[in-house]
Amino acid sequence: MKDPSRLYRWMLLLTSLVALGFLLAAAVRENLLAEWQQRQREYRKLLAEKATDTRGRELLRNFRIELRQVSVPALGAVDRCVSCHVGIDDPRMTDVPQPYRLHPVEILEHHPVDRYGCTICHQGQGAATNFHEAKAEDAYWDYPLLPRELTQASCMTCHDANRLPPQDVALVLEGMQLYEQKSCGSCHKLGGRGGALGPALDNEGQKTKHQLVLTNLKPPYTTWRWHQAHFRDPAGIVPGSQMKNPTVTEREALALTAYMLSLRQRDVPESYLAPDKIAQKFRALSPRPLPAEQLYRMYCFACHGDGTYGRWEKTFQRFLPAIRGTLAATATREYLETQIAQGRPGTQMPPWHLQAGGLLPEEITALVDYLRASPAAWTARGSAARSAPVARGDATRGQMLFLRNCAGCHGVAGVGGVAPELANPVFLRAADDSFLATTIRNGRAATAMPAFQRPDGAGLSEAEIADIIAFLRSLAPPSQQTTQAQEKSRAGGSP
Amino acid sequence: MRTAATPPEKTSATQEFLDNLRQLPRNLKDAWFRLGRLPESEREESQATFHNLFLHLHSVRVHLRTLEPSLTLGLGLMATFSFLVLVVTGLLLMIYYKPSTALAYQSMKDIHYVVATGRFIRNIHRWAAHIMVIAVFAHMARVFFTASYKKPREFNWLVGLGLLVLTLALSFTGYLLPYDQLAYWATTIGANIANSPRELTDALGITPYFDPGGFQKRLLLGANTVGEDSLIRFYVLHVFILPLLLVILLSVHFWRIRKDGGLARPEDPAGGLAEWGGKLHRVFEPLATKTYGLMAVVRGRRPPVNRGPEGTVMSWPHLLWAELAVLMLTIAVTLALSFYIDAPLKEIANPAVPENPAKAPWYFLGLQELVSYSAFMGGLVIPTIAVIGLALIPFLDRRPGGEGIWFGMPGERDVAWQSLLFGLACTVGLLAFTVNFGWLRNWFPEIHQLWIIAINPGSILVLLFAGWSLWVLKRKDSVRLAAVALFTCFLVGFVVLTYFATVHRGPNWQFYWRPSQWPVH
Repeated sequence: MKDPSRLYRWMLLLTSLVALGFLLAAAVRENLLAEWQQRQREYRKLLAEKATDTRGRELLRNFRIELRQVSVPALGAVDRCVSCHVGIDDPRMTDVPQPYRLHPVEILEHHPVDRYGCTICHQGQGAATNFHEAKAEDAYWDYPLLPRELTQASCMTCHDANRLPPQDVALVLEGMQLYEQKSCGSCHKLGGRGGALGPALDNEGQKTKHQLVLTNLKPPYTTWRWHQAHFRDPAGIVPGSQMKNPTVTEREALALTAYMLSLRQRDVPESYLAPDKIAQKFRALSPRPLPAEQLYRMYCFACHGDGTYGRWEKTFQRFLPAIRGTLAATATREYLETQIAQGRPGTQMPPWHLQAGGLLPEEITALVDYLRASPAAWTARGSAARSAPVARGDATRGQMLFLRNCAGCHGVAGVGGVAPELANPVFLRAADDSFLATTIRNGRAATAMPAFQRPDGAGLSEAEIADIIAFLRSLAPPSQQTTQAQEKSRAGGSP
Repeated sequence: MRTAATPPEKTSATQEFLDNLRQLPRNLKDAWFRLGRLPESEREESQATFHNLFLHLHSVRVHLRTLEPSLTLGLGLMATFSFLVLVVTGLLLMIYYKPSTALAYQSMKDIHYVVATGRFIRNIHRWAAHIMVIAVFAHMARVFFTASYKKPREFNWLVGLGLLVLTLALSFTGYLLPYDQLAYWATTIGANIANSPRELTDALGITPYFDPGGFQKRLLLGANTVGEDSLIRFYVLHVFILPLLLVILLSVHFWRIRKDGGLARPEDPAGGLAEWGGKLHRVFEPLATKTYGLMAVVRGRRPPVNRGPEGTVMSWPHLLWAELAVLMLTIAVTLALSFYIDAPLKEIANPAVPENPAKAPWYFLGLQELVSYSAFMGGLVIPTIAVIGLALIPFLDRRPGGEGIWFGMPGERDVAWQSLLFGLACTVGLLAFTVNFGWLRNWFPEIHQLWIIAINPGSILVLLFAGWSLWVLKRKDSVRLAAVALFTCFLVGFVVLTYFATVHRGPNWQFYWRPSQWPVH
């Protein structure tokens, strides 16, 4: 009779051999061929080459091939980088290839490895024991190894950039200046100050690549490559982005990227913070007002330019008004302050008061002063003729006049078209009659708003202007407070 | 102690102690291997089986059909042995793993990078888990297609079904433990499947009063979202409760095999000739006046030796060789896979950055595909129908015949082929239709959700399969054939949906031909 288990015995033999083979292979791979072991074997050769004196020979004798790590519980770091970068603190290792080379001494002097570890500055996956996964550009890890030129972004975790030697953090400082120059704050908040059109950037450096739109980026995917490409062409990287192209050079994009990467809200124990960082944090709690010119540059310039011309903004699909010149001269201080503090709801102009855009009241006042201190040519004509119509108008007649003269640009019922929305509650509340009347009479210089009454009296009559204003007032029921204010101003304005 | 054989001269106690010490190795060996050598006669072979706690799970003799590799394909054994591998590697992993959200991921990294061969052990654990799930499903299919659930094995079929559920639960609870993005979002999806009754209660507007979905989800997670409570819950389930239950059920499962007379096989005609292995064999004819108990066999009064009258051979060593071979096959396959393919470990779990697509573990992806049409239908009704349907098979199909033979009833193979094609056509057709033309919500955006719960690709698939099975029942006039039709369709549907959701579903659950076409995000 055929042996019924013959097949199984052969199978057992074969599978056992296969299993044994794989077990042996795995044991060899894990215990003898690990990358860090090979690195340390090579390092031992380097040690042997350099063992010319007693100390060198002692170092060689005591060298063991073993896994090395720096554990820094306070920073949540267990960094095994030193398993391959064995020579970072050996001053003789200057003429050897990486990963054995000496770390720049002046940095290690102040940041001993056993207190700081590696990843707090360099990022990367400290736990890994092979370079591919430690660098982590193509591995599942949120913060890959920073390229050498961007490592300086990490300094700001514990330092105030302005108190560091400028040559050490040149990129970040340049980026910081560009941020101001390119008026990024017009749309982005940082430290509670800035516009609301774009995302706040306080924690931009802690973002992972998965929080960014990578569709139009070519691999490898890293946050810094994204930032660089994005600064060069925002809409090309994020389809449909409203971000204005900051028009920067490669170098400037890199600087801005370094600055972005330096923005990290990372909880680091206070004992790790430099005193200047603590002072910086403290100052942020009670900001001092900035000069108006700087404020204008930081928070207004991106949209309004220098403010003397109104222009059609393609991405917003609306006119941006000229805010210096005639407007600043015609409008009351209250009007201008309200416009800045409250913004213009329904448009891209955000509110800038302390709780929204983060500007101090005195800063808003200073900005209004700055706007009004415009070249004399713009102001003369406006301020000379500033007065409200004497008579009360009739809203029904006003509506006809509005449709005939204004609706073409301002839209039927003042909902806005190519010209601003006049039915806007904040606008109607803030604008007094004399401002409206003067603007209708004289138009607004350097914008598309023409004068509707020529100096010789042709065009709209005073009564008609009063009718139009009455119609405008009927568009939004004014609150009680504004009604009273208008009564008062009318009473005061009439002789 | 005195016996007759004791020599009369007196030995000192010291001498006796030294003698015993000298004989210690031999006596230890005798105590351990009671026979002292490999069994030589059938009597000793039966003792080897019978006198060992673990081996006595086997009968002393085993039918030759049972040893045919083509009968079982070793699938049940493979599932058991992968469980064994899982227990061993799981214990090793437990030594290093820390079940806390703050530490879990870091401990996984340490297992990967620092623990000696830690990554390899984790790979083995992962692959053995996949193999176990696949083997359990395949084993169920084997038992079904060889009609091995029939009387008296109905109860064991139910136990097996319980083991299937436990296997899936074990695998699912293990999924969360690494606490990486994959784990977090797969578990979130799983919890949302548990939450699926809400679709119905929401549509009826009774969720504030009656919310079984929310209850299930909170019971599973211990909170409203995946977090610390879920992790410890899953951990306890994964390392203690579920394995314990599985071992208990597994013991019952094996014990029932013995009690039900070994693996299912066709009844040998008493006293005649029976055919197996392509040859005719004489079948043992029991005398009506005699009792042939197992104990009798062991005591030595047994049927003639070396003739194999019932077509049986000794379990020791034949069955043992077979089992060892399957054990080593399982281990070898697991090792080979683990050597080349690492178990995934993504970024640390981040509730703020959802994975897209967030996919459940692969064996739930068929369900997730159905859930994407209707959470209530796909997440609750259809799985419930499937489990109840599977449980009822041996009670609805009670006509004996075909046990232990692949497609043993006349016409069964044809019905299976036809059902395979029918199931394939239905599932692929419905998927293609849905991908190309959308479903009710795309055509009638204002439609009430109840319509979609009632009419969706999942429910239509169930109706098609049921209809097909009823048609076979009518036409072939056989309950078994109807069951074959339904089971084949169910299996095909499961495989196709799982494949489809694994390969062809990308970000936002959109259709893609290949994962490489997914947009990066």
